[in-house]
Amino acid sequence: MVSKVDLSVRIGKLELPYPTLMASGCYGSGEEFEAFADLSKIGAVVLKSVTREPRLGNPMPRLVSTPAGMLNAIGLQNPGIDWYLEHEVAKFAKRPCAVVGSVAAFSVDDYAYVTERLAARAEIAAIELNISCPNVGSEGETFACDPDLTGKVVRAVRAVTDKTLIVKLSPNVTDIAAIAAEAERAGADALAVINTLRGMSIDVHAWKPRLGNLTGGLSGPAIRPVAVLAVYEAARAVSIPIVGQGGIENATDALEFFLAGASAIAIGTANFTDPRIPERIVDELGAYLAARGLQSLRDIVGKANAGFGTPFQYEGDAG
Amino acid sequence: MLPGPSVHDVVVLDRTELARGVILLGFYAPELAAVTSPGQFVMAIPPGGERAATALAIYEAQGERASLLFFVCGARTRELAELRPGDKLSLTGPLGNGFTLESARDVAIVAGGVGIASVLLPAQRLAERGARVRLFYGARNSELLVDRDRFASAGCELCCATDDGSFGHHGFITELLAQTDDKPDLILACGPSPMLRATALVAAELGVRAQLALEETFACGVGGCWGCVVPLDRASVQAPKFPKTGSGDYVHARVCKEGPVFWAHELRW
Ligand SMILES: Cc1cc2nc3c(=O)[nH]c(=O)nc-3n(C[C@H](O)[C@H](O)[C@H](O)COP(=O)(O)O)c2cc1C
Ligand code: FES
Repeated sequence: MVSKVDLSVRIGKLELPYPTLMASGCYGSGEEFEAFADLSKIGAVVLKSVTREPRLGNPMPRLVSTPAGMLNAIGLQNPGIDWYLEHEVAKFAKRPCAVVGSVAAFSVDDYAYVTERLAARAEIAAIELNISCPNVGSEGETFACDPDLTGKVVRAVRAVTDKTLIVKLSPNVTDIAAIAAEAERAGADALAVINTLRGMSIDVHAWKPRLGNLTGGLSGPAIRPVAVLAVYEAARAVSIPIVGQGGIENATDALEFFLAGASAIAIGTANFTDPRIPERIVDELGAYLAARGLQSLRDIVGKANAGFGTPFQYEGDAG
Repeated sequence: MLPGPSVHDVVVLDRTELARGVILLGFYAPELAAVTSPGQFVMAIPPGGERAATALAIYEAQGERASLLFFVCGARTRELAELRPGDKLSLTGPLGNGFTLESARDVAIVAGGVGIASVLLPAQRLAERGARVRLFYGARNSELLVDRDRFASAGCELCCATDDGSFGHHGFITELLAQTDDKPDLILACGPSPMLRATALVAAELGVRAQLALEETFACGVGGCWGCVVPLDRASVQAPKFPKTGSGDYVHARVCKEGPVFWAHELRW
């Protein structure tokens, strides 16, 4: 009965059977979760961000649990693009879902360099540009915190690939709409909204911050209202699709994002509670829509957002 | 399908409070019990659904029953402690790489506090195959030296220590290990990290190889987030295959995936 409802989404050139992406850095390369979740029932896995050079990442501790969420400061630990292409990427072909590469860098040139090499691989369906990682000093995030830098890096990356380009924005800004608009102008096919919020937790016995990196990124239900608003504001400013994320744990949470104007969602921290959550969300979304006599998830996108420009959202679709 | 880790929906069979705040929960979990090897753990999915899952060592795994032994020390373990026979729970596992028992004939197992939860399975496995097993067991006080009888009836020789002197040696359990005259040919250890570091030092002095089960805070528990790393010798067999970075002689391995058990001499801590 639920199967009649169309949950498929289109993000740039990417056609996904389900609107659920697994958030970057939370799901390994998918393989780690394969025994616990049915990857053929998710839209796509977004890989851990990869950089030009290998990175050991931040000192421990890298995780702190906080009220209704957690702080993380992994520091982009990854083997670097050379090793990644040689030893890892071929394995992604086996995934029963789309695989989206995530690129992080510290300069415009490196963003373009890593993207060009990664996007050239057939195993990679699309590229997410992580210009909003809060855990690598202040440099990493400056791109997503400044419209001009955002425009510059997106234009440089756009020039090197035709694959779908998702630009991941930071909530640590005063005007996310301006940055969203700039990313679209510079050629982004979609936006991921939001990355983690900067945060800190202090050990009052040791008199020092709990994270090895001192500061971290806050995720989980604690950030959901911030994320919903960010999607709402970005959706009014652009006509490209938005992948909403931040504290989504169930279909009700997901619906807030769709109604605010997200075309798809990503699930990160909730996978640490229960790896069956993504599949459950898909089932419950289908049931929600069926109970209202709706045929397609697309019918509700942006419906709580009066400033949302629906006609643009799914150009190319029938009807 | 090949038996392997999965999400197991299990039912609580029995619940015993071994000491104040120390809970032993037994489950009807035949599939989990069948595929568990010593030193592995599960992520217990919170019944209320609102928190991250809790990593807990698998204490017993025999026939249709598996059990978890844990100390109540926060909201998540408090929630698990409220479970009663008949209640349902979901466990993701078994996870991680456990102890390598090799063909050791004389094994010293060092356990501190809740670390006891990781060492019953290796103790039983070793004793069954005729190895001599000595358990060096330390805790804050005699009450917290829980479930000693089970180890004794499995055939272990027990040496105990308490911080307050209420039972056994008054002091650290590793002091007893250091004093031993007949050297074991393998040491296994699980407990708080100062105890593990001391065990590694004693093992090096004795010239005995040691495997340490590390305790770390996990988020995913399955190797997906890189939140739980420990520096490991690049040449270690357990080191994730990574290119050189910086000085290049160590890599960050995931405690939940490459571990939780590591050879003491391969850790760079
Ligand atoms: C442990 C951890 C690691 C993360 N690593 C990355 C990363 O490498 N790249 C990235 O773009 N986002 C990363 N994120 C952010 C998530 O992809 C996601 O945008 C954010 O956590 C909000 O969603 P959530 O509340 O559902 O987790 C990470 C988040 C967590 C919790
Ligand atoms: S807890 Fe996620 S990798 Fe270990």
